[in-house]
Amino acid sequence: MAVNRRKIGVVLCALAVTAVVAGTAAASHTGTPGVSKNQIVIGGTFPLSGPASLYKTIPAAEQAYYAYVNAKGGVNHRKIVDKVLDDQYDPSQTVPQTQKLVEQDHVFAVVGSLGTAPIFSTWQYLNKLKIPQVLVATGDAYWGNCVHHACNGSTKPWTMGWQPTYPAEAKVYAKYILANKAGAKIGVLYQNDAYGKNYLGGLRTGLGAHKGQIVDAESYNVGDSAQVIAAHLIKMETAGANTLVVFATPLPTIQALAGRTAIGWSPLTLVNNVSANRLFMLSAGQNGASLNGVVSTVYTASSTTQANLPGIKLGKAIIHKYAPALDQSYAEGDGNIVYGLAVAWTFVDALKHAGKNPTRASLMHALRNLNETHNPFVYPGMQVKTSKKRTFPMEQLRLIKWAGGGTGDWHGFGKIFNGLH
Amino acid sequence: MSRLPALVSLLAVAGVLAALPFLLSSYNISLAAQVGIFFIAVLGLNILTGYTGQISIGHGAFMAIGGYTTAVLSRDHDTNLVVTMLAAFAICFVFGVLVGLPALRLSGVYLALVTFALAISVPQLPLKWSSFLGGRDGVQASRTVSHLWLYAVAWSAAAILFVLAWLILRGRVGRAFRAVRDSEIAAVASGIELPVYKTLAFGISAAYAGVAGSLFVLATNGFAAPDEFAVVLSLELLIGAAVAGLGSLWGILAGAAFVGLLPAVSSSVPVIGSDHGRDVVFGAAVVLVMLLLPGGFAGLLARLRQLARA
Amino acid sequence: MATAESSPRPSFPGRGSALGGISPVSVLLVAVAAALLVGCLRSETFAQLTVEGLALGAVYGSLALALVLVYRATRIVNFAQGELAMATTYIAWQLIQWGLSYWEAFFATLGIAFVLGTLLEVVLIRPVLHRSAIAAVIVTVGLFILIDGAVTWIWGGSFKFMPSPFGTKIYHVGGVAIARLYLGMLAVVLVSVVLVWALFRFTKIGLGMRAAALRPAEAALVGIRVDRMLAVGWGLAAVLGAVAGLMAEPSQFLLEPTLMQPILVYAFAAAVLGGLESPAGAVVGGLAIGVSLSLIVQYVPAISSELQLPFAFAVLIVVLLIKPSGLFGRREVRRV
Repeated sequence: MAVNRRKIGVVLCALAVTAVVAGTAAASHTGTPGVSKNQIVIGGTFPLSGPASLYKTIPAAEQAYYAYVNAKGGVNHRKIVDKVLDDQYDPSQTVPQTQKLVEQDHVFAVVGSLGTAPIFSTWQYLNKLKIPQVLVATGDAYWGNCVHHACNGSTKPWTMGWQPTYPAEAKVYAKYILANKAGAKIGVLYQNDAYGKNYLGGLRTGLGAHKGQIVDAESYNVGDSAQVIAAHLIKMETAGANTLVVFATPLPTIQALAGRTAIGWSPLTLVNNVSANRLFMLSAGQNGASLNGVVSTVYTASSTTQANLPGIKLGKAIIHKYAPALDQSYAEGDGNIVYGLAVAWTFVDALKHAGKNPTRASLMHALRNLNETHNPFVYPGMQVKTSKKRTFPMEQLRLIKWAGGGTGDWHGFGKIFNGLH
Repeated sequence: MSRLPALVSLLAVAGVLAALPFLLSSYNISLAAQVGIFFIAVLGLNILTGYTGQISIGHGAFMAIGGYTTAVLSRDHDTNLVVTMLAAFAICFVFGVLVGLPALRLSGVYLALVTFALAISVPQLPLKWSSFLGGRDGVQASRTVSHLWLYAVAWSAAAILFVLAWLILRGRVGRAFRAVRDSEIAAVASGIELPVYKTLAFGISAAYAGVAGSLFVLATNGFAAPDEFAVVLSLELLIGAAVAGLGSLWGILAGAAFVGLLPAVSSSVPVIGSDHGRDVVFGAAVVLVMLLLPGGFAGLLARLRQLARA
Repeated sequence: MATAESSPRPSFPGRGSALGGISPVSVLLVAVAAALLVGCLRSETFAQLTVEGLALGAVYGSLALALVLVYRATRIVNFAQGELAMATTYIAWQLIQWGLSYWEAFFATLGIAFVLGTLLEVVLIRPVLHRSAIAAVIVTVGLFILIDGAVTWIWGGSFKFMPSPFGTKIYHVGGVAIARLYLGMLAVVLVSVVLVWALFRFTKIGLGMRAAALRPAEAALVGIRVDRMLAVGWGLAAVLGAVAGLMAEPSQFLLEPTLMQPILVYAFAAAVLGGLESPAGAVVGGLAIGVSLSLIVQYVPAISSELQLPFAFAVLIVVLLIKPSGLFGRREVRRV
């Protein structure tokens, strides 16, 4: 019996070692990871499934834009390969997926990853390895504030955002409320994490001496049911609020909009722009939400109300050719698609300015010196700019208001706010 | 496992483990470390389910407690990481005993339900006490470790805990455990104090899960968050123990490899492709294993041995 | 595997669970109902939350009833019951996409669910059940993961919209906003439960199922195909699960794969609360848990929404420790 056990042991041993040697992924790299003679490999983590999966059209749009650029020869004869991995908006999945991108796929840069908490969970790792973590799809103020100043022990010069920051956006809402509803009693529904708290802090700062007008701030957790959201709304209504500000991801926003109508409450309602996508609003309307008069902000062009802009027409052609599954969403006003196209445009713009043989450092240099006055997908009149002093690429917003009920749309009003950060 | 595997087998395993870091890429070393982490957890669960017959679909909760122990101690006091693992062992032992006490009055289906509910409830707690436990943003340990460190510490801990398990199971305690599993009535009749041994088994298995949890958090860049310990983790541990079968080092290695590697491997399955293909392959594999290999991998080995002898 | 288990004797539907004398449980229920009524009359918010709680509780009760049916038939708990319910809801969505009206899809889905449930029992559970209960439980655990992955793979992980069967109309009754949806959820679940009860009570198949569950050996002697009865039990459970899923979805506004996961926990708590062998208990338990959760989260600030699941867990533990056979079960104890 001992002989047989020994035999089995030895055989298994040999198999294991053989398998291991055969399976060793030995990639020897000379030069910049991710850059070869005819390819640049980038990657990012996105919520393709899970609680934030309503954002999954963003990476699809970005890949469509890269396909369009590749069809025209790419950048300096290199085609862009974009590896998109699913992290389900869960930072503990973002970490292994990002490690996979870096250590197995050897990406040149991590581009466009989505989510405040997911970025937080990986920025130390990427900055330590000096890998660009750029154009991230989250508006936390840290992405610009920590370039020259230390945060959590070190500066993070390799991390960069793109969209206007959450606190800046919240300050615009504060201004609007003070100007249009003096004495408003404000109820705030915010996500119970860094994302939601960033907004709430900005709102309080924007209200300044009037921050006492926030009569109730209720936090919810990702994954909470519609009934829990409704319970928070009931508490706000009971506290006397006549204004509702929602700082949430898309699903809870839809549930809050529908929920407030279902409990018979009609406050002045403001929603954050990342959840104000026309498709989400239509969804809320289908579930009974009353939508007229809801306020938000915008910084990308609209594929419905601005269909005649050259950028929107270009976008339509790109999506039709390279991501036809998104055709209908684009036609119905999915702002995430335009956002994805805009971000991809910025990346390609930076890559073009990163030299004939780009390195990670030259890419970062190009990204820190952007001067895009004609990004076709951005709201007309807005620019994407960075410099040594200006670490936030977009610092402009315009207010929008919903009209037309369950089949309506957003309409811009008022001036464009500048210098927001 | 009460019979120590042949020395040759042990040396072979040790040899392979020592050689692997030189042969594998950094990414694959991290995968090998994952197997080590699951080895520890499955080993502990095996003691509870295989040896005392108490089912638990909640050991992810103990991994959570162990993981958070490490993260919080490191964040607040910059404690040495191995010391935090020892703390996790001790704290989870206590919690395991605490869970084992009410479990005395439950068995079979009821125990499964309660432990399942435990697995779902415990990760909610950091959301409630978010100032201390970080809420959804999680707790970040003050240090991160390299893949190699993780690999070395995980497998060293696995070896130590394996020897510890062997010592426990071959002695009086092990006989008592097996008596409890085979017939509680007979065990009591022969003077075994049920409560002591049943709660002891819970405590030990929880302590092992706690250590695995510490390493699990360290494997995620030192980041502990509720979503990491969702109920799926507990399901995976149970599956690992079932695939392992009873009483064999190889079985536990197979169970740990199954749970640790199959999801990563199946995400590159061509037809199903994406990350969600992996759940389909994993789930299907589990169902097939239970249908075709009732004794788990250990049972398969036993049958192979019988064939070899014949 | 002999254990010191308190195994409650099964109580049949139809005879009611505590007839022949007033049991303390019935008194308790009447008292609770009276208290709720008083609360509703005194506070609009209370009334709103009670209605919402009852509607959600009906969903929990429907899934709990499915769990009980499976337990009575095969003595195991099907951990994949919730995921199966979610999958059948996706099937309904797909049927609607292919052009069926909501109610056509609803009934078609119930039929499909029945078939899926029986197939599951025959193909995957029966072969393993003979060997060991733990193995069968692990098969259901594997199914949990498999079904979740399959749904995400086939339909994608993002949200789907299903038209609400009851529209979005809100009734205003004396200051209380009651969604027609909640009334609809309650009605559909109660009708389903009554139909299942009638099946058990008045049909030959129902009698056969009860016999097969209680005394399988004797039932076989009398010519009942016990195997078939078990499969039918699983089929009916899948139908009840499908009803639960189809009623749960509109309450969350969107369909997504994790729809039934928290509901499974509440259903477990409800099934245990009512007694794992008591169908009536499962439904009452579900309603109780639904109302409790709605009211407690509002009125007891210490138990905020994060603690809903731990609360259900606490209920589970307390019931199992104090009265393991549940509110409606009867005890049969083997002490060791």
